[in-house]
Amino acid sequence: MTRPGRPPLAELTEAIGRVLLGKQHAVRLALACLLARGHLLIEDLPGVGKSTLAEALARSFGLEFRRVSFTSDLLPADLTGVNVFEPAEARFRFRPGPLFSQVLLADEINRASPRTQSALLEAMAAGRVSVDGTSHPLPEPFLVIATQNGLDQGGTAPLPESQLDRFLMRLSLGFPPREAERALLAGEGTSSEALGQRLTPADLLALQERSGRQHVSSALLDYVLDLLARSREPGRSGLPLSPRAGLGLLAAARAWSLIEGRDHVIPDDVQAVAAAVCEHRLDGGQPGTTAGERSAALLAGVDGLR
Amino acid sequence: MGRTAARLQWLAMGLLALGLTGVSPVQVLGALAIGLSVLTALKLLEARRLGERRLVALLQLVVAGLLSALQPDLVPSLLQIATMFVALAGLLALEVGEGPDWRSLLRRSMSVLLAALPMALVLLLLVPRMSPFSMLPILDDQTAVTGLSETLNPGSIAALADDTAPAARVSFPTGAPPAAEQRYWRVLVHDRFDGRQWLAAPGVRRLSVTTPETPGPNATGALQELWIVEPSGLTTVPWSGNGVPLGTLLRQDSRGELRLRLSTGQRRVYGIAAVPPSAGDNWREQPPRPLDLQGISGRNPRLEALGAQWSRLPAPRERLMAAERWFRNQGFRYSRTPGALPEQAPLDAFLFDRREGFCGHFAGSFSALMRRAGVPARVVSGFRGGSWVTALGGEGYLDLRRSDAHAWSEVWLPGEGWIRIDPSAWVTNPAPARSQAPAAQGSLGWLQRQWWAVDLLWTRWWLGFDRQAQDQLLRRLLGEQRGWVGALILVLVAVGLAAGLGLLAWLGRRGGGDPLRRELERSLALLARHGLAPTPGETLPRFLARVQRQWPALAADLNGLADTYGAARFAPPRSGGPAAGLRELRRRRRRLASELHRGNSHPGKHAGHAGTAPDATD
Repeated sequence: MTRPGRPPLAELTEAIGRVLLGKQHAVRLALACLLARGHLLIEDLPGVGKSTLAEALARSFGLEFRRVSFTSDLLPADLTGVNVFEPAEARFRFRPGPLFSQVLLADEINRASPRTQSALLEAMAAGRVSVDGTSHPLPEPFLVIATQNGLDQGGTAPLPESQLDRFLMRLSLGFPPREAERALLAGEGTSSEALGQRLTPADLLALQERSGRQHVSSALLDYVLDLLARSREPGRSGLPLSPRAGLGLLAAARAWSLIEGRDHVIPDDVQAVAAAVCEHRLDGGQPGTTAGERSAALLAGVDGLR
Repeated sequence: MGRTAARLQWLAMGLLALGLTGVSPVQVLGALAIGLSVLTALKLLEARRLGERRLVALLQLVVAGLLSALQPDLVPSLLQIATMFVALAGLLALEVGEGPDWRSLLRRSMSVLLAALPMALVLLLLVPRMSPFSMLPILDDQTAVTGLSETLNPGSIAALADDTAPAARVSFPTGAPPAAEQRYWRVLVHDRFDGRQWLAAPGVRRLSVTTPETPGPNATGALQELWIVEPSGLTTVPWSGNGVPLGTLLRQDSRGELRLRLSTGQRRVYGIAAVPPSAGDNWREQPPRPLDLQGISGRNPRLEALGAQWSRLPAPRERLMAAERWFRNQGFRYSRTPGALPEQAPLDAFLFDRREGFCGHFAGSFSALMRRAGVPARVVSGFRGGSWVTALGGEGYLDLRRSDAHAWSEVWLPGEGWIRIDPSAWVTNPAPARSQAPAAQGSLGWLQRQWWAVDLLWTRWWLGFDRQAQDQLLRRLLGEQRGWVGALILVLVAVGLAAGLGLLAWLGRRGGGDPLRRELERSLALLARHGLAPTPGETLPRFLARVQRQWPALAADLNGLADTYGAARFAPPRSGGPAAGLRELRRRRRRLASELHRGNSHPGKHAGHAGTAPDATD
């Protein structure tokens, strides 16, 4: 559908798209995730551009970006930071860990011990970290982009369903299309370093706030409720969607409608984000044979015309 | 497809099986019903999907309908109603789903049956009845016999058993029962005498008396006797001897027997109409045959001597009088245990030595005497009397037991035809005909008699509702133009049904959405006419984009439609309110309709514009 005017975020998505060639949809989803104040789980092979995406997102908003490679011996304190004794001042001073960044790329999250995983996920859910009884607020905005290798790889501790639920979206970048890869090999894309800052962190906060105010009509609420109810019908394959999944679906749809340049949410927005928001909640971390098959079946089971 | 539905369907299957126990597989319809229900059971066994289970419910209803055509009797009919009731409840359980409990399912099933009642009434009135009121075989597999047999040989019977098993029931729907002394129900005629026993001679002419095709003005009153006869080994059934049998399975022969076309070990129902038979077809007026005068000479010399003495009297009537006088003066005694008669001259021994016996002795020897005296005579066996049962709130009926079996004589007098003579009545202590219900049978017997009364009522009103009765009722309701008025009513009912169904569908569609959605459905219906419908779960913009790829020329209209609907539906409320959105949507639909109409008259037009239309993909 053609629409008059240009969506405000179109420029941004196009710019990031030039970095991550052929991944327009994934880029928009990641952006929606950021606008919806959610966290992102990317499940894919190494080398398809996970960190590039995270870095590009951080750079374009001028956000502080850090990267932690999760290993089996990574301790919670390595993430959150520790209280260090300052001999000069004769007192403990909190030295924040990598968690205190605005965009954290948690590489290979499923290689870490469950204890470390859960520390990260707690921080993600609460927006603050407690060290030795003192609570330290995390920076705003705060986005975790976690990557996870395929479950068939050795030495992994798969995320349990309850922790998968903390991630608003799960994405799979996949291989770029042939044309995009040709452009990549020919060096036609821009590097993430070359990507200048286009918006400020304050802009992002404003956008996040605006995303939360996108209009949701009762007809759309009914649509989301129907989807949730459908997922909970007995005899359906897959896990039922939780109320948190419903909240996440709506928030992501709102962000998507903002990216689309609309002031209200339509079922198309819900459908656009449904696979990313719902699939990992429906399959409980065990992806089906084709990507998004469960959420597609879910969408096909509910009247989309409204 | 809950377990409730499965249980109800199996229950219906069981009821069907119960109903099928009385169905003969030899009949075409019977074989069909049995085969169909076996198929239904197999289908139910493997049915998993809703559609299959629906089919099972339908088949069950069809089989129940077949059964009701096969067995219109009271008990099977009740069973068939129960079967349809349960089958319907099963179907409802399928449609409604797991939710409601048994009680509400059965209540719904009842209301469905009640809702069908007016339709059933119209069909009952207007659709021609399948079979005319006739002999209907009835569910019962006993092969008992009445106390009658083709051969009457009283001499060999030492004692009569007092068998009170039921033999038949007769009601008189249109009149009072005959007086007690007139209650003779003829079954068999024995017209060949060999000196000891009476047999039925072959070579009997069948009378062409059957139900008149066009009943007279008082044809409903034609049903004079309604019989239900228990199974017997005979092919003849009792009747009063007056009127004509109804239906085609029953024949009256020239001796006055009612003979079935088929031999039977089943209960039978039949009616006798109070129509006077045409002249020449009255069994009473059939001339005697030479056989009716034959007696074996020499077997009973004293009897023959007595008969020869009477034969000198000039008029047959006088011979008859002489015989009655003689019988009354001999001091005969009625006895149920007279002992066997000797092989040689048995009737002589009875008439002149023992002088006691039962009806067979009297009728047999009297007829033999009459033959020797030159009066055509024969022995008739059947029933006499019967006990009158007054049913609660209904009509009474006559209850005939096997012990009511009786034998009497018939003689032919010139100018009068065959007349009944009962020599057993001339003895000094005649056995009284039973006219009161046996009192000492307890409440069970009372219950059974009441049940039989209900059975008779059902038989009369339901089985008796034949083509004639239907025609009569229609004549009374609709007058002489009943033919086309009936057809008109049927057509009206069909139209009404179709309209009702359409209305229901329309209401269902109408009720399932708000005005905006209904308006959208109208627009979608426009596209659906061109074979374009949204796939499951598809959103409107997506669907319209798909349409647009096919008809790029419509891009503006389609986009407008999507935007208008999306704005009216999902956008924050704007000035004008929802009514403005609805108006706009309606306007858009009309434009789309006219565009489609123009495009429709030139099929290639939209495709032709493909190149010039702006590429408007999302």
